[in-house]
Formats: sequence, structure tokens, C-alpha cells
Amino acid sequence: MNGQSDAIPEQQSPRSPAPRLGWEEFSRELVEFFASIKLAMFLFLFIAITATIGTVIQQNERPESYIQEYGENTYRWFLRLGFIDVYHTWWFTSLLGLLCVNSLTCFYKRFPGVWRSMKQDRVSVSLDFVKGMKQQAEVSIASSKEVVSQQLAQHFIEKGYKVLAKNDPGEVTIYATKGVLGRVGAHMAHLSATVIIVGGLIGTYYGFQEFGVCLEGQTYHIPRGNFDIKVDKFWIDYHENGSVKSYNSTLTVIDGGKSAVTKTISVNDPLVYKGIWFYQSSYGDSWDQVEVARVNIKDKATDKVLKTVDLEWHKEQAVADLDLKLSITDFVADFAFNSTEKKVFSKTVEHANPAIRLAVNERNSVQSTPWVFYQFPDLFDIKESKYQFELVAYKPKKFTGLQIAKNPGINIVWTGSTMIVVGITLSSFIFHRRIWMKIVPAPEGVTVYVGGTTHKSQIDFQREFRKLTDKLRTFSASPV
Amino acid sequence: MVRSLFLFDMTFWLYLAALTLYIAYLFARRPAMALAPAGHSTDNFDERDGAWATQLGQIATLITVFGWIVNTGALFTRAFERMQTSGTFAPWSNQFEAMAYVSWAIILGYVLLELRYKIKAIGAFVVGIGFIAMGAASLLPYRYQTAEPLVPALNSYWIYIHVSITLTSYAAFAMAGGLGVMYLFKERAERRGSTSRFYAAFPDLETIDELGYKAITVGFPLLAFGIILGAMWANYAWGGYWSWDPKETWSLIVWLIYGAYIHARMTRGWEGHRAAVYAIFGFLMVVFCFWGVNFLLSGLHAYA
Repeated sequence: MNGQSDAIPEQQSPRSPAPRLGWEEFSRELVEFFASIKLAMFLFLFIAITATIGTVIQQNERPESYIQEYGENTYRWFLRLGFIDVYHTWWFTSLLGLLCVNSLTCFYKRFPGVWRSMKQDRVSVSLDFVKGMKQQAEVSIASSKEVVSQQLAQHFIEKGYKVLAKNDPGEVTIYATKGVLGRVGAHMAHLSATVIIVGGLIGTYYGFQEFGVCLEGQTYHIPRGNFDIKVDKFWIDYHENGSVKSYNSTLTVIDGGKSAVTKTISVNDPLVYKGIWFYQSSYGDSWDQVEVARVNIKDKATDKVLKTVDLEWHKEQAVADLDLKLSITDFVADFAFNSTEKKVFSKTVEHANPAIRLAVNERNSVQSTPWVFYQFPDLFDIKESKYQFELVAYKPKKFTGLQIAKNPGINIVWTGSTMIVVGITLSSFIFHRRIWMKIVPAPEGVTVYVGGTTHKSQIDFQREFRKLTDKLRTFSASPV
Repeated sequence: MVRSLFLFDMTFWLYLAALTLYIAYLFARRPAMALAPAGHSTDNFDERDGAWATQLGQIATLITVFGWIVNTGALFTRAFERMQTSGTFAPWSNQFEAMAYVSWAIILGYVLLELRYKIKAIGAFVVGIGFIAMGAASLLPYRYQTAEPLVPALNSYWIYIHVSITLTSYAAFAMAGGLGVMYLFKERAERRGSTSRFYAAFPDLETIDELGYKAITVGFPLLAFGIILGAMWANYAWGGYWSWDPKETWSLIVWLIYGAYIHARMTRGWEGHRAAVYAIFGFLMVVFCFWGVNFLLSGLHAYA
């Protein structure tokens, strides 16, 4: 593991000859396990594999649709394993939790070392330590130790390294380091996982998400915010080719009896008031109101259409020459009748079986309120009336679908997100490199022992190290 | 519309020409001394290269750069066309444009790589993927290729940044995938002790491996950034930053797959062969995330 190679070998305690089974040993093993890269890889891949389930099986559907598609037995297994809401099952959440534990333990285990090497680095190391490094070389130079150390320091400073030197009797030790930020970045990314998940949890427990269907002109109470919201207007803009460009609602917040804010929201442009967000989420045809309906008035005797009238919602209209007064009092998009309550209601929001209730006043003597069906024109008949009414067309009122949401964890999530992006970027492009050099006087000039280590991108480092030793050899050629 | 489609078409043919030339370059005659088995230095390889091969290589590069310029022109033209019809100018607003943008990014990445490392043999693989992306785009039915107005949810400034960054990360992963394939080719030749001329221009295994890893380290943070920008956009448009929509989930899956790769690189034994196979697997997952999800799974991202 490379993660270990950055630990300075000298500091590693020698393996205890007979492992004890004490708490210390156990907790060390535990940290070792939870901080391990293997666990991280396993979690990454296992979460990736299980996350596919929810993209293949439709989530949170009605039981019937699963049974229809997969059969009853399979559906039972789905229920057992939580496949119909994978991302909220205890086991998927535990995997995410385990990922947090993994990254936090890794932080706990490795960050102190990174911190130390940021704060204070060990300059003086033994010769064996330098020789024992992964990348190491030995170069003899016909020059004096002062000149060589000067040149080396110069070289590393030019390359952007931080250089520290120690002049011991007889030898000089030079330590050069660069790119510790790369490792800080990796740990920042490790912490971010937990930050994001904590933000997400706060959002789920202290936030809410609701959907409201609202009609123009109405005022709705928002209990969670203790204020009212009034829908002033709803309209749709179209592109030239007739496709929808945007849909918009003008909303007014009424707080404490006074209007506080008015804003026109559209998709991608929500209204925020007291931490509660109002999104333009959808629109549709209302199922209990129409704007206008077109009704044919037929003569029963001749079965001829005498007149066609457009009736506006809740507005009585007089048809003078027929001695009629008509108005629409109710509308349902999908007619259904509750026999116990004796009430008509709309079974669904679909316009499957639309009907209007007509208030008819004929010659001021016949009064009736029949339901007139769009699909079954002959269903109702007013016995005393000369006329029959047919619903030929109607224009439903549009409702505006508002999503109302509050998420107090959102800023924590964004903080974690920033951390992860900055962290990964740092760790992708910056490598922590540490190089120690010991300049020891030799019979002819000096011998330079070089040893270096990095926590990743060994190949790059190898190349850099080779260049460094090549450069070192040129020192001897240069005049002193 | 016609103008940009003509340019996209031209890009396709230019990339095809470039790819053919790069393959021809691999097959071109070289002096025997250039046929040294693995480990030849790439620094002064060009001088030992046969003159014929060198010329082929130069033409291939020229055609690639020219194709990329035409590709750029096509994207710009499309941007202007979009400006007139759909109120945005992002030339990556549908599947077709996104593909054309990805191949633009792949080719740009390749040209930069060639400028820096001077290894033309990679062109046969990476330009190949760029060409396939462009080809797949032009195979889409005409109604997918036109600049239709955007649906309200897409009509936002977020489309400029979220989509382009995500697609750029796909391009980086595509390059890593191409390098992975190249690695396996070269490795097979070495294992068999092949002395074929074909492999003479290939860089050594270590270099291919390292470049593949680099491509992934570029793509990985970009994808993270792209996903997070997507979350921010979703928070504005859909009322929640994460809704486990198939596209979201799949981009997370891809990110996790590469996350596992990045961590695996720190352990011994995860470079070379295994890394190459993994990079190809990862790239296939990217392809599924990019294409498969749109055509096979339903969800909020299914706009095309």
C-alpha cells in the first residue's frame, strides 16, 4: 500500500514478536480496517452496484404496477429487500454511513502525519533512512560540500520546493518538499462525504417538500411558515412553433395581513420567503372548474340545434329569444357519485368523463340543475323542458403546480460539495514530494545520498527523480 | 440549421480521414532500427522514424487539427442558430449537440496530448473514439439533430456550465478508455514477442498506463464538479438538489467507479493490465450513462 510508504520507515515501531490480544491491539486493528483503502474500494463499488437497482426498477410505484410487470412473487421479494425504494432502505443508508466511517477513520489515522509535515518537518535523518527510501541514488561529485549544497538548494528553490538545510559536523542534510496541499486536499475530500451526508440528513429531518395545486385568484395558507400565499396570475408563454417556452405564476406573500413580497416565478426562478422556496413545478387542467363551456340548445321536438352559447363559470346568461337563463354551477373532470353522501366528485384529475352542472331557468317556471355529460349527451332529460342541452366543448381553468420546500441543510450540503470539488482537484493535480539529501565529504569531493518519496504518481516522481540525479552529475562538470 | 449540419457533417468526414491516416501511420514502413522491442525511448523516436511514416503522421495531425477547427466552427454556428430559435446559445442542448461537443473535447484533449508528448500512435485510438462519437451523433435521426426550442426546465444559464463540464469529464474518460485499449494491444504484442512493425510507434506500456491514469485524474474532479452543479441547478428548477433520477444516479455510479479506481491506484497491483481493463470498463459505464440512460431508462433528464 502506498499509503504506508509515505510513513517514514524509521518511525515504524518494530513488529511485536507475539501479538497480544489486548484492547490496544484490537482498536489498532479496528482503525486499520476502517481506514483501509480496500474497504473504500469495496464500498465505492458496492454502492455503485446497488444504486443501479433503483434506476432499473421504477421507484415508489403503486403495488399493482409491480405485480403486473414482475409478478406477485417477485414483488414480495422486492418488498423484503426494499427494492421499490432502494435509496431509503436501512441497508443502503448503512452503506453510506459506512462510507462516512471509512473516510473519517482514514482522516483520523493519516491526517496527523500530514499536519505534522506541514508544520514541522524532520530535516535530520540518518544515512540508512535515506538509503532505505523507495527512490534513492548515490552520486559522487568533485566539489566541496558548501558549493554542492548551495547548488542543490538553488535547484530545488527554482523548482518551487520548500528547502530546509541542516549543517551537522562533517555532513550537510538538505530536505526539500513540495505539494503537501495535495494530501490536504485528499483529506478535505474525505471529510466532505460526512459533511454532505449530515447536510442531507438535516434536510430530511428538519425540512419538508410539498406539492400544491393552486388556482388563480385564490389565497392559500402555508402552515409551516405561518403566512399566506396568493396566486395573482398564472400564464404560459409559447415559442413561435407552439411549444411551451415558460410557465409563470405571480405570487404575493401575505404575512400578518400585509402583502410582503410579490414575485413572478417560473421554472428555474423560484420565490424564497423565510427559508421556504416556492417553485413553479407544473401546470395542468383543473378538474373542478372551467373557464368557459360551449353548450348546444336543441329543440326536443325537431332535434335541431337552435342555438350555441358560450357560458362562463358561475355567470348567469340569458338567452332572450328562447326565454332561458343558463349558468354553470359545477364541473367535474371524471364524474363519480358518492351514494352515501349523495355527492358528485371527480374520481381522478384526468378529464376522462367530464360533466358540467347546468342551472336552467326556463320561462321562469321550469327550474332544473341537470348534469350534462360531454361523452353521453342523451343521459339526462328535463321532462318539463322543451329543450335538450349538449356540452360540445369546454376550456378548463389552468392550475399552477407549486412545489413548496424548505431545506435547512442545504448550505451544509453546498459546503461539503465545495470541499469535495476543491479537495479532489488539489489531490488530483498536486503530489506531495519529499526528498532528503545527505552531502558527505569523500576522498575526492563529496558523495550525495538522495532519497525521495511521494504518496502517489510514482511514475512521475520516478522521472523527476531521474532528472534530479542527472542534474546532480552535471554539478561535478561545472567549474567550482 | 443547414449550415451547422453541413459543418458537423464535414467534421465527421475529416475525423474519419484523420483516423485513417493515423492507422496508416501505424502500418507505415519504418527503418529496421526503429523496430526495437519495448523500451525504446520516445524522445528522439521521430528522427529514426521513416520519412514516409513521419509525413503520414504530420498529415494526420494537420487533418485532425483542421477537423477540430471545423468542429469548433460547427458548434459556434449552432450556437448562433440556437440564439435565434430557442433563447439560449449553448450548443450542447440535445443529444446530438452533446455528442458533437464530446468529440470536440476528445479531439482537443488529444491534440494537446500530442503537442506535449509527441506520441502520434495514440491518435489511432483516441481520435478513433472522437470519430465514433461524431459518427454516432450523425446516425441520430434528423429530428434529434435540429435545434428545437428548449423545454422550460432546460432554459437556464445553468445549462452552459453544468452540461459542458459534465461532458468534458466524459471526454477525459473516453481518452482513458482509448488509452486502455491501446495498452492491451501493446501488452498482447509484447507477451507474444511480436516484432510487427505495427507496434514500433507505440510508446512503452508504462507511459500509456500513466497517461490513462492522468486522463482519469482530470475527469474525476470535473465529473464531481459537474454533478454538484447539476445538484445546484436541480435545487433551482426541480425543488430539490438530489432526487435519485436515473441520470443523476448513473453519473454518481460512474463517479464511484472512478473513485474506486483512484483509490485502487494507491495500492500495489492496480496499474498496468488491471488498470487498463478497468478504464475500458469505466468508459463503457460512461457510455451507458450518456446514451443508455437517455434511451433505455425514463426520468427527469429524458428530454431528447
